[in-house]
Amino acid sequence: MLTIENLHVAVEEREILKGLDLSVNAGEIHAIMGPNGSGKSTLAQVLAGKDSYSVTQGRVLYRGEDLLDMEPEERARRGVFLAFQYPTEIPGVNNAYLLKAALNARREADGEPQVDAFEFMRLIRSRMELMNISKEFLNRSVNEGFSGGEKKRNEILQMLVLEPSLAVLDETDSGLDVDALKIVAAGVNSLRSDDRAMVLVTHYERLLELIVPDHVHVLSDGRIVKSGDRELARELDARGYDWVQQEAASA
Amino acid sequence: MNTEALSRQFTAELDRLSGSAETAARRAAAFDAFSATGFPTRRDEQWRYTDLRPISTAELDFAPASPSAELVSRVSESLERSGFDATASRLVFVDGSYCEALSRTTDAAGISIASLASCSEADLPAHAHAPLDGHPLATLNAAFAREGALIAAEAGARTAAPIELVFAASGHSGIAAQPRILIDLGHGADVTLVQHLLDLEPARGWFNAVTQIVQPPGSQLTLYRLQDHAEHQFHTALTRAELAEDAKLICGYFDLGGRLVRNDFDIRLKGAGADADLYGLFLASSGQHTDNHIRMDHIAPGTRSAEAFRGIIGDRGHGVFNGKVVVHRDAQHIDARQSSDNLLLADNAEIDTKPELEIYADDVKCSHGATIGELDDEQMFYLRARGLADDEARNLLTFAFANTILERIALPELRERIAERVAARLPNDETADKMR
Ligand SMILES: Nc1ncnc2c1ncn2[C@@H]1O[C@H](COP(=O)(O)OP(=O)(O)OP(=O)(O)O)[C@@H](O)[C@H]1O
Ligand SMILES: [Mg+2]
Repeated sequence: MLTIENLHVAVEEREILKGLDLSVNAGEIHAIMGPNGSGKSTLAQVLAGKDSYSVTQGRVLYRGEDLLDMEPEERARRGVFLAFQYPTEIPGVNNAYLLKAALNARREADGEPQVDAFEFMRLIRSRMELMNISKEFLNRSVNEGFSGGEKKRNEILQMLVLEPSLAVLDETDSGLDVDALKIVAAGVNSLRSDDRAMVLVTHYERLLELIVPDHVHVLSDGRIVKSGDRELARELDARGYDWVQQEAASA
Repeated sequence: MNTEALSRQFTAELDRLSGSAETAARRAAAFDAFSATGFPTRRDEQWRYTDLRPISTAELDFAPASPSAELVSRVSESLERSGFDATASRLVFVDGSYCEALSRTTDAAGISIASLASCSEADLPAHAHAPLDGHPLATLNAAFAREGALIAAEAGARTAAPIELVFAASGHSGIAAQPRILIDLGHGADVTLVQHLLDLEPARGWFNAVTQIVQPPGSQLTLYRLQDHAEHQFHTALTRAELAEDAKLICGYFDLGGRLVRNDFDIRLKGAGADADLYGLFLASSGQHTDNHIRMDHIAPGTRSAEAFRGIIGDRGHGVFNGKVVVHRDAQHIDARQSSDNLLLADNAEIDTKPELEIYADDVKCSHGATIGELDDEQMFYLRARGLADDEARNLLTFAFANTILERIALPELRERIAERVAARLPNDETADKMR
């Protein structure tokens, strides 16, 4: 599904990703953990197509095609979804309008007919219930005035509606209360399937108790320095990152 | 057009127009007053940002012929197409001439609507002849104006549905329409008026209007204007109003077209509790120039004014906001707010904002905010990351910026109609491409 080879990314001359390799197969969930500032969001944003980052080396293949060559909207239409760490507030743009436009853009790319208002409502109702988002949110401006937790749930609602093939969730669990964390986990788990892959960026092992990953990676200073299974997450939770970084340095 | 040519046209026009010797003398005095200074230049502080030479050097016809039957039917079709309410009271003018066939003046109770030329001089309110010192273009209008509208409301009268004034231009170049709109309200009257300006075909003409409003105590006037000219039209307009105690004026002006647009507002809050609320949205791209120039006089204590204008400025567009608030001596407890928010969509887009305050009282609340911004990169990325095409995302964010003003239109159908026109005229993809 996703192959990242020797990815180097710089922002304003400063190198942030320094030769990152990662391979994600369909059906898998990968967790990426790592200290603040290690480059996790940079990776997520580069995958979604943010152009303020420059890729200086390496390549990224999505279903065998050059992902970095595609515009952000093309990636989205082909099934790449990023749940933002800090979802953007867009005053004056209606939440329901965006959701519908996003869905129709994806459908158009798949050669499917556009949804009408009725079908759209039918389609989102159950998903909104699952995310515990009330109907009035549809008529509000995108993320404007949403609480931190509401923004995160709104991201997952979008994901549920768009049914991406590759979802990258950047700290969707941060700032959630216990109940909201369960809601978000249930949403993510409901999308789990053999033809879909997910990358979860997180700081908290507790998320990985609810969404059990197939692989866990440690991103430190722009590289994946250690990979393992869910046991690695537990160990990181108990011991922190120092030992991994030391291990990596001595290797 | 040089002064002699203008003068020749004026003399011919004066001979042609009927009216009393008194009227003729007034016109001549206005023409002399205009001629003494001529068209203002950018050396004049009031015209610093707006160059009138495109108008002053154009070949213009101040006495255009009445519209042909063919033209009238084209206007009629165009009105139907744009979804105008066929039952509303309305006056329609084509190339400055009143068009009875398309107008409907069924008077609502206590409200009379008439074309100016059909009024006898005795019908005109006293303020019809108020001097227009300091407004050279309005003074020129006073010399030439022969058509327009008189809207009069008796005390306590209300419009159930808005009155519509339609000014259509044919697409013949060089026509200089000089309409005059007089609004005369009785105590406590409540009137809503919608002005539409549209061009059937792109033409380089000049529309120079003067609107004079007198509001006695407790009256309310809501004035909407959709200026939807084609790209070459010159548009200048003076809106002058005097408000007595507790009178309320609401102006919502939407300037979407025109090559050179200048709106002057001259508002006098003369009675305690008078309240003026001006808001506007303009689009300026492809070399368009739009200037909103406001003078707000707080003469009585306890008066309130608000000015909120938004500009969307694209390729080679130029916007101007010049708002002057004058708080007169002893006019205490004043609340005056101004805001000018502008969205620049191209590197060569320009905006000049100039707030001015002159305060001769001490207990006043005045605020001014001006913002100039571009489309937000983070918002653009978020929308594109959800699959919206680049130009779609741009238009959506641009429209969202406009929508803050559109939402203030209290009439849902009018809001819808104006919103559609705004959406249709948003600076296009070409502009967007040039930015990258
Ligand atoms: N646009 C930018 N301009 C300058 N520096 C940037 C930019 N984006 C990221 N960085 C820097 O790159 C480094 C990696 O940032 P990134 O956001 O990817 O970290 P992260 O691993 O997601 O951290 P966190 O766990 O705190 O979310 C940081 O030092 C950050 O300051
Ligand atoms: Mg981050």
